[in-house]
Order: sequence, then structure tokens, then C-alpha cells
Amino acid sequence: MLGGSQAQALQVVDLIVESILQIKDETGLTVPSRLQADTALLGTEGFLDSMALVTLVVALEQNIEEKFGVSVQLADAHALSQEHSPYSTIYALAEYALLRMQTD
Amino acid sequence: MFIDHVLSVIRAHPDREAIIWHDRVYTFRWLEESISKWSGFLEDNAVARGSVVSLEADFSPDSIALLLALIARACVVVPLTASVETKKTEFREIAQVETIVRADGEHPEVSHTGLEVTHALLLEVRARNHPGLVLFSSGSTGKSKGALHDLVPLLEKFTSPRPALRAISFLLFDHIGGFNTLLYSLSNAGCIVTVTSRLPDAVCAAIAKHRVQLLPTSPTFINLLLVSEAYRRHDLSSLELVTYGTEPMHESTLRRFHELYPRIRLQQTYGLSEVGILRSRSRASDSLWVRIGGDGYETRVVDDMLEIKAKSAMLGYLNAPSPFTEDGWFKTYDVVQVDGEDFRILGRKSELINVGGEKVYPAEVESVLCTMPGVQSVTVRGEPNPITGQIVTARVKLDNSEPLSAFRKRMFEHCKNALPRFKIPQKVVIVSEDMHGERFKTVRSSSS
Repeated sequence: MLGGSQAQALQVVDLIVESILQIKDETGLTVPSRLQADTALLGTEGFLDSMALVTLVVALEQNIEEKFGVSVQLADAHALSQEHSPYSTIYALAEYALLRMQTD
Repeated sequence: MFIDHVLSVIRAHPDREAIIWHDRVYTFRWLEESISKWSGFLEDNAVARGSVVSLEADFSPDSIALLLALIARACVVVPLTASVETKKTEFREIAQVETIVRADGEHPEVSHTGLEVTHALLLEVRARNHPGLVLFSSGSTGKSKGALHDLVPLLEKFTSPRPALRAISFLLFDHIGGFNTLLYSLSNAGCIVTVTSRLPDAVCAAIAKHRVQLLPTSPTFINLLLVSEAYRRHDLSSLELVTYGTEPMHESTLRRFHELYPRIRLQQTYGLSEVGILRSRSRASDSLWVRIGGDGYETRVVDDMLEIKAKSAMLGYLNAPSPFTEDGWFKTYDVVQVDGEDFRILGRKSELINVGGEKVYPAEVESVLCTMPGVQSVTVRGEPNPITGQIVTARVKLDNSEPLSAFRKRMFEHCKNALPRFKIPQKVVIVSEDMHGERFKTVRSSSS
């Protein structure tokens, strides 16, 4: 994949986990007890439906802005046209977010 | 001849209070004399009969008298208040204003623009030898449209006698509601109480001081009134009737106000720059169901949206295509529910938010959010999102600063039993500026 070191990606993974826990706290969303880079988000093994995914993406965008000072769009036509869905796992989302942070 | 009816009422009640301005009383006798005086002034300043004249002022004894004098002169009047200051040049061009009468200073001033009237609709009114009125819509859902009315059918409505009330001129001078309040009051020998500020404390103070009976206003203002608690600081015992319109009312706001003041009748109004104000009757003070119509108006619902046929409808827009159907009905684009003869207005079609196939109207979400402690005001709108089509975004103004995550948590707790999940905002933005314009109408144009 393009750009960003593994260390940076893992930073974003942490932020995603933080965002998920935030949403769990706010909305009572059911989340797996272990949240790590390879945890599935969407799909047959995922724990998010479309509503929860949207909420996560919004929360993540706002957290990225707060933490890194960068404004990104993580849900747009570009995201949906990726060959491998950026929403499949936490790591996939982290990589995609990093990509957008560097190019937006 | 065009203001004959109003003049006959004015002459019949010389000593009654007609206008209160800066706490001074102006009688109907004063008004009659003033109309004569300003008619002479218009004549001396070469304001031609039938010309298109902008009247740039807010409510004042002089501006009211000038308005009547201009109507008597068969002019096409284009009222413009300070609230549209930045758009005045554009509006004057759209309306092809030939003469500007500035009446918001010490002494009215007249200037001629040299513009020529070429618009077919303006020429039509001129050909009829009738006075006209141009009103610009607020533009809160897009570009401002200029609606041209023939004043003869519009003024017809005011010849049926109604009770004389003391009313606040809350709605602006260049707004159909403001025009309606004014003509209603003059035609029934009521009293217009003007206000220098439309903030809750100033309005309440005027109600108390001048024993006002009627407050025609907007849901946004009523909410501000409740949130500011201005009603606690002033004696509102003279108030009998509060009418609200111009945007959807939140059920929660209505209930709260009714609980505080069970004796004040709350009446929903329905009207548009394009067709005038319809007669209406709410099912009850705390109900959003309303019957609308009256003489000269017909209503029908097509594709869940309200359409109106009015005898006093405008001739058309000066700067937009005709919004009328082939059979002469005006499409309001207000989505309504119907129950017998009553309507419940859900919101404008353009405001409808579609989240993953589920539909939600901003007003229903706002109604729940605005009862949250610490929330001063809230505006909900849809934002595009490729995952679900749109998402519900709430912009909130808080009393005290609060971290976003803490607010979101509170919001979810507050909403979870009142709204289905998809209606609870997926995105929240905390704002610090007011979200309504000068017309006290919440601005909610959606981004797309």
C-alpha cells in the first residue's frame, strides 16, 4: 500500500479502537471483547451494521481532526470504489484513513 | 380608491391608538393627516402614478403612511427592510425599481434610478391600473424569489370585519406576515405596537408596557422565549393570542408554552409570499393539526404535498419560472399528513432526510433535541453519505461548553426512548453562532 509507516498506521488503529469504545459508551453498541487490527468491521464477521459504520466513520473523522489537525472524508465515492473495502477490518480502515490524511 | 376601505376605518376612529412607536402613541387622526401629507410629498418629488417604488424602512408611523399613500397612487411597492441590506441592489434590479423612497432616517428621501420597467408581469399590473406589491422570499432554502401581487385582490381579504386587537409588529415590514398584520390591524381599527428589537426581553417588555393582546411570531422565536425565560421577567397577562407560522413548529415547544400559559390561544398560521396568508384554525392550542383555507382559498394534496389555489395569488415570480400547475394550483412542496379536514405539516420536501431508506424530517428530531437540558437551539439537516445515502446531522448551540463526546452520550440517552435509532443524529456539530436569520426563521438549507 501507499505511504505511511506501520507505526503511523498503528497509531490510527488505536484511534479507531478509541472511537469504537466511544460509540459503545454513547449508544450501547455491542462490540467484541477484543478489538485489534484484524477485527472485522463489516461483512459476515463484522459487528457493524450500516448505521453503526456511519457513526464510527463520523466519530473517527472528528477524532482525526482533533488529534492530527487534519480534516478528512472517510465515506465518499472514493472509499466505496476501492478494490478492497476500507471498512473490512480495523487495519484496513486505518490504512485508508492514513492515505486520506496524506493526500487530502 | 384603492385604500378606501382602510380610510373609512381610519376616519371612523380618529382618537383610537393606531400605532405605538418608540413608546409614543399615534392616533388614527394622525395617520389620516400623515397619509395626506406624504401624498403631497410624493407628488412634489415626481413619484409617478403606477411607478415601481421601493419603500426602504421598517415599521414606523411614517413608513406606514407612506405605504398607504403609495398604494393610493397605484404604485407597485417593493418594501425592503434593513434585514436585506446586502441584497437591496440586487432586489431593486429584479423588481426594476424606478424610484427609491428611503424612510428609515429622520426625513424620507426620494431618488430616481433611471431603470426602465420591461418585465411582462410588472407591465401587466400597470396596464390594469392597479397598485402592486413585490415581496422577496427569505431565501432560507435557496435563492430569494420576488413575488409580484396585484394588490386589489390581496386587499379584498381585509374588508371582512374582524376583532380589533393590539398586536406586536414582529414579522417584518417586507414579509407577507408583516404586511398581513399591518393591514389586518388598520382595517379593523386595531393598534400596531412596534418594537426596536426582536429579542425576547424587548418583545416581552413591549407586551407588558402596551398591554398587547396578539403576538404573531415564529416557532424559532417562541423557543427562544422559552429558553431565555424572558417570560418570567415581564407581565404577559394581556396576551390572548400567539400565532406561529413560517416554519414547522416543534411539538415539544408547543406543549411547553401551552403548559406555561394555558389561557393563551396558540394558533398556527399558514401563508406564503406567493399566495398570502390563509385562514386557519388549530385543533387545539397544543396540537399541530390545523385546518386551513378560508374565502378565496382551496387546498389539495398531491404526492403527499400541499397545493393551494388562491384568488389572491401572486401574478408570478419576477426572477424565476412559474410555480403554478397548469390548472392554476401553487405547489408548496410542504409534505403534509391528512386527518379529515386537518393537516399536519411535516416539513419541506427538500428537507426530508433519507437514511438507508428510512425517512425523517428535521423538525421531529429537533423537537426531541431541543428539550435536552443545556441546549439553546438545534438545527437538523441531512448530509450526503454514500453508505446510507444521507445522514442526520445536528448543529447544536449549548448554554455552556461541553466536550462533544459527553454531549453525544447525553444526546443518545435522551433520544433512545423517543426516537428510532436511525433518527438519532449520526453526526453532531457544536456551534457558537445563532442559527436563525433576521426573520427569526431557522436556516436549514442542506448541503449537497
